[in-house]
Amino acid sequence: MAFVRHILVVAWKDLHLELRTKEVINASLSFALVILLLFSFAFDPTAEQTREISGGLLWLVFAFAGTLIVNRSFSRELSNDCLDALIVSPVSGAALFLGKCLGNVTLLLAVELISLPVFGAFYNVPWTRQFCPLFLVLGLASWGLAIIGTMFSALTANLKLRELMLPVLVYPLMIPGLMAAIQLTTPLVAGQPLSGDLLGWLKLLVGFDVIFTALALALVETILVG
Amino acid sequence: MGLRNFTYLFYGFSAAWLVLAAYVGILAVRERKIKRDLKVLQRMIEDRERE
Amino acid sequence: MIFLTGLAAVLLGRNLYVMLLRLPDEAMQGPIYRIIFFHVPSAWTAFTGFFAAMVASIIFLAKKDLRFDALAVSVTEVGLAFGAANLITGMIWGRIIWGIWWTWDPRLTSMLICWLLYLGYLMLRRAVEEPIERAKLSAVLSIFAFADVPVVFFSIKWWRTQHPQPVVWAGGSMDLAMWNMLFLNWVPLLLLGVVLVAVRMRQEEAERELAALRRRAHAL
Repeated sequence: MAFVRHILVVAWKDLHLELRTKEVINASLSFALVILLLFSFAFDPTAEQTREISGGLLWLVFAFAGTLIVNRSFSRELSNDCLDALIVSPVSGAALFLGKCLGNVTLLLAVELISLPVFGAFYNVPWTRQFCPLFLVLGLASWGLAIIGTMFSALTANLKLRELMLPVLVYPLMIPGLMAAIQLTTPLVAGQPLSGDLLGWLKLLVGFDVIFTALALALVETILVG
Repeated sequence: MGLRNFTYLFYGFSAAWLVLAAYVGILAVRERKIKRDLKVLQRMIEDRERE
Repeated sequence: MIFLTGLAAVLLGRNLYVMLLRLPDEAMQGPIYRIIFFHVPSAWTAFTGFFAAMVASIIFLAKKDLRFDALAVSVTEVGLAFGAANLITGMIWGRIIWGIWWTWDPRLTSMLICWLLYLGYLMLRRAVEEPIERAKLSAVLSIFAFADVPVVFFSIKWWRTQHPQPVVWAGGSMDLAMWNMLFLNWVPLLLLGVVLVAVRMRQEEAERELAALRRRAHAL
């Protein structure tokens, strides 16, 4: 299917570019690790406190790092009219968008998977015990972040004050998804399995992803082409 | 308790109305700015047409 | 418009009379609970506005008629004003009943987030100069924002049921007279909202004329 191939090509292009320059991944990774470290110094949490704040801390860090990643998504295409070339090409707006999303999710997951062991080491948290459900939550929440972030990256690509506008617009929208991620991550990182109440949050996260993916796909052509 | 709470109730009501009044104020300021700009522009056009 | 304002004033007057003199005091809170008659309908008016904004945005994207963009921004602004009234009356109520200015009451929290969302809408509009581009981008944001509103309310309510906190409005069943008053007070607020939207829309039109005049003045 040409559509799927286009998505993969766009994703690969972005990832390839990023792997060569490493600008975004360096920035977001350093940011994530520094914040995690600083928190440990600033608050020196006890084991009990750590267990309570782990989800919140991790997802705040990932949300900020994620914004750094998606910010560059469309703005990097502005020079040399690359964005116009992409829009005019046979790649549909939806494929372009999904491809960039895929690239962003991959980068974000990379940052998350590198941050987790560091977090585990500094805060003494048994995060490997429930790794599969944790990975599922990471994936779902990162997808939600990427969808909304990439969408608004496209929206704000041409604006002055883009770096400011993107977080201001994205964070309030993200709150339900972030909350679900936080509520799920806290027990998972402490080694507790998903059960009962938590499954509700998982359903919320999935619903959130579905709604906003559908909405984004419906509106992306409007943003890109007009 | 009754009378004190009525005072607070008064504060509460006034707060709601103050917020709305503030918005009306914003609209009024904007209105004045629009009228001023309109006058300036019309004078500018008349001057230029006369030349 | 004067008629509508007059009507709103009359209704309000009548409501205030009933509210203050006729309705009984609530068992636990005393007279202060009457704040609810402005607190809740403000929220309803705000969300009516945000819903109208979403509809106007969708129609704008379908028809590309800038008048719908004018409608969208007007109802959003008025919605924000009523939302602010809701938040502030909520805070005052909380301060009096619970002694704290803020509480993570699910409704108040959700309203705050939605308020920030739509404030972002106004900020976005400031950042774009070209009117059609601005209309298009804000329309998309408005649609996303309203889609988020129910999800926000749902998720925050769930979050708060896991960690119960003081609730500004202790739900439960209400006396029928109070229920009626809630709706009855909504009417004048809605009427006021309509008047404000009309004024604001006229200003949008005036600004567009201004832009045209400006172009003409600089062309001469």
